[in-house]
Amino acid sequence: MATLTVEIVTPEAPLFSGPATALIARSSEGDFTILPQHTSTVGDVVSSIVRVDTTEGTVAFAVHSGFFQVGKGFGEDETLATVLAGVAERTSEIDVARAQAAKDAAEAKLAAVNRGDHADDDDQLVALAALERAQLRLRAAEFSAS
Amino acid sequence: MAGGQERVLRRRIRSVQSTRKITKAMELIAASQIPRSLARIIANRPYRQGMQRVLLEAALGDPTGAKKLLTLPEKVDTALVLVITGDRGLSGPYNNASLRAGERLVAQLRREGTTVRLFCAGKKAAAYYRFRGLEVEESFVGVVDRPTFSQAQDIARRLAGPFMAGETQQVFIVSTRYLSAGSQSVEVEQLLPLVVPELPEDPAEKELKGYTEFEPEVEKLLFFLMPRFLESEVFSALIEGAAAFHTSQQRAMAAATENADELGQTLTRVMNRARQDSITTEIMEIVGGAEALRSGK
Repeated sequence: MATLTVEIVTPEAPLFSGPATALIARSSEGDFTILPQHTSTVGDVVSSIVRVDTTEGTVAFAVHSGFFQVGKGFGEDETLATVLAGVAERTSEIDVARAQAAKDAAEAKLAAVNRGDHADDDDQLVALAALERAQLRLRAAEFSAS
Repeated sequence: MAGGQERVLRRRIRSVQSTRKITKAMELIAASQIPRSLARIIANRPYRQGMQRVLLEAALGDPTGAKKLLTLPEKVDTALVLVITGDRGLSGPYNNASLRAGERLVAQLRREGTTVRLFCAGKKAAAYYRFRGLEVEESFVGVVDRPTFSQAQDIARRLAGPFMAGETQQVFIVSTRYLSAGSQSVEVEQLLPLVVPELPEDPAEKELKGYTEFEPEVEKLLFFLMPRFLESEVFSALIEGAAAFHTSQQRAMAAATENADELGQTLTRVMNRARQDSITTEIMEIVGGAEALRSGK
């Protein structure tokens, strides 16, 4: 029987590795779903919530951009889907209070930049990136609660 | 007279013993860091290999684009060199080995008429090269002991910046690779233009691998991939360097402790002999004095 193995890895640690029924994520071209026997594919993953459906339920991850690769696994008729992310976390492990605080801090920083307190382009980009990360974390935490 | 020598020896023994305490403590601390730093290498392995696979796939999918992005221009005017050492010394040959390899690389590049821009990670590298009169353009301190991925990202960005701006055509990294507990070696690797792991020249081999889809199209993907791949390689160099540092330090400090033990033993023997000598001399003096008194009666 065709099977699918999903791996979610970050530089610091592998987050998930195991059999799954589907992998649902978003690339710069749009949402996609990987099922067993998917053709070999390589692509990017934009900042979004990545869902892994297993027979025991759904596991979700907040992935802050990365890449994915689908190819033949080691076993017979096994499809291996790997998501490579610089930063990612399990939605159930997100610290909502911290994410909220980070979001507020990033918003304050952006407001300050826009008022012209800092003329630095870098500051604005850093603040924007921080805001995006915080927003994704909050959305992901909501997703796991629902 | 002889008692003075004994006192001097006693002082030296005490000093050797307190040095031994320090080296022993450093040995234990280094030893305790080893498993943690090894665990990080192992945890990083799936990511690094995954990145290499993705890059290989993308390079195979677009050989012409890959060639443009991944091959060296005919003339290299400027090269950037990043040397990774430790922040601290007392680690055996670890620092010196990379420093010397870095120096050789710089000398070789200069002989070929290339301008070298030197980047250093680790306090020791910057201090060494500055002392030698080499200009260190950037020095990253406090990252080599327990490197985080965001620190690696930061370094990767600083390395890629001049390359993307066309100020430099080649980027090297000099670091210590952790091959196994017994074997670490300094390696000079070319980071940019990216070296694709084992790019097969044979088109037939590509056929065998079958057809791969890309999302987005492969040209764009390669472009996105480059900086991420660079980060991954810098991070793995940093964590392997940290593991090699702790291993090397543990070994050096174990040897130092052993030497201190040996020295202490030798000194104790010399001191005992000196003490015995002084006692013998003293007895001889007393006996001689008593003899003199009796015969004088």
